[in-house]
Amino acid sequence: MIEFINTLWSNAPEWLSRLRPALWLTLLLTLSSFALAIGIAILLELGRVSRWTALRKAVAAYIDLFRSVPILAVLYLIYFGLPGLGISFSAFTSGTLGLGIVYSTYIAEILRAGVQSLHRGQSEAALAVGMTPISTFRWIILPQALRVVTPPLLVALISLLKDTSICALIAVNELMLTSKLIMSEFFLPLHIFVLVGLIYFAIAWPMSLFVRWLEPRLHRGRRLATVAAGTARQKRPSITSPSNVLAPRRPRPFPAP
Amino acid sequence: MNGLLHVLEFAVPLVEAAGITIIVSIGAFFVAVTMGLGLASLRHFYTTPVIRWPIQAYVELFRNIPSLTHLFILFYGLAYLGLRLGSITAAILGLGLIGAASLSETFRAGFESLHHGQREAALAVGMSPFIAFREVILPQTWRITLPPIGNYAVQLIKDTSLVAAIAAPEIMFTARNLVVNTFETTLVYTLAAVIYLALCLPLSRTVRYLETRAATPR
Repeated sequence: MIEFINTLWSNAPEWLSRLRPALWLTLLLTLSSFALAIGIAILLELGRVSRWTALRKAVAAYIDLFRSVPILAVLYLIYFGLPGLGISFSAFTSGTLGLGIVYSTYIAEILRAGVQSLHRGQSEAALAVGMTPISTFRWIILPQALRVVTPPLLVALISLLKDTSICALIAVNELMLTSKLIMSEFFLPLHIFVLVGLIYFAIAWPMSLFVRWLEPRLHRGRRLATVAAGTARQKRPSITSPSNVLAPRRPRPFPAP
Repeated sequence: MNGLLHVLEFAVPLVEAAGITIIVSIGAFFVAVTMGLGLASLRHFYTTPVIRWPIQAYVELFRNIPSLTHLFILFYGLAYLGLRLGSITAAILGLGLIGAASLSETFRAGFESLHHGQREAALAVGMSPFIAFREVILPQTWRITLPPIGNYAVQLIKDTSLVAAIAAPEIMFTARNLVVNTFETTLVYTLAAVIYLALCLPLSRTVRYLETRAATPR
């Protein structure tokens, strides 16, 4: 054990200096694919409520398809399969596309739960008092939906961070692939992979703790929601603030990573 | 006709490889459910920090580190220590241990969702804590935990594709080998995706059915 720590300690500076660019690439990949996933998810959500049946069916098929196929298969199809049809992307772009496409299905589900959690009366009331549809969305729908949507979105982001490691298999030079190269150079697999595991943990764990800290705070003051969450303190709902009565339904939890 | 034969030539080894995928999935599922239930019940019965903290640490470590890292530690790291696991064993063990961490949270949420009066009533009529757990708590939690467990099973089948990285001969690994020999990338990877679709879609439909049934009040 002491020997293990000594070896790790003496090698860590060199390894870390090589892992640093890989870490930036991992973070960049996480953020770019998350942005892409949110973009696609918004389009999916708009398609889902469309009045054209064909579009709704297409969205449902897209979600079924990319929820049933592993990320690795999607990445291989994009990176190795598409060049056969004459379209080729760099490894990083393929990784962003693959992760973005797969995660858009999860995020679409989260967004749907967020929109459905609001009672229809909210927007009807806003329109009835003369707000325009845009300001209704900006001032009534969005602030309430964000409360519901933020925690599961952060959970999805953590999950996405972990899944960027899969891109090592299509030769994106991120943390996992770099550590594997270091392994084949130093022949110290246990040390390097424990080190990389700790790096991932150092990013993902604080985020998990933050979500756990944030979630009850977002639901504070919403009577039914706190009761549903099992916390004991009950506040008397005030008649003047309807948001206390119309508590959001909690979205379906993100499937276990 | 020739085209069909061409497709079959690739489809047959891939379907055979799906057998390994299914074996790994079932093995890992078994490990994950038994261990997850064990951890969650331990935490349910013993609230002392000595029991709770190691379990909590285990759950946090396995949920916040990528599966691939865990698989590499198990496969390459343990071999370095002299404990050489076969790739399929490492796959079942690795995915099972990861699954146990997330399922133990699922079970815990299930236990906590029950009103504490259930347990108190069972103890009041003279059941031992263990009997109360087995006869009163557990049967009621299945209704809540079954849909997440189903979702986990679907996720698990997809995650077995990662095992290709430690050379277990499942679908993605076989596909990769076929491609190296024939360069038919598009066809082979599409076939692999179709096989995963055939495995996962019926299962996720069943889960959705279970979910709607669990959502309706009894």
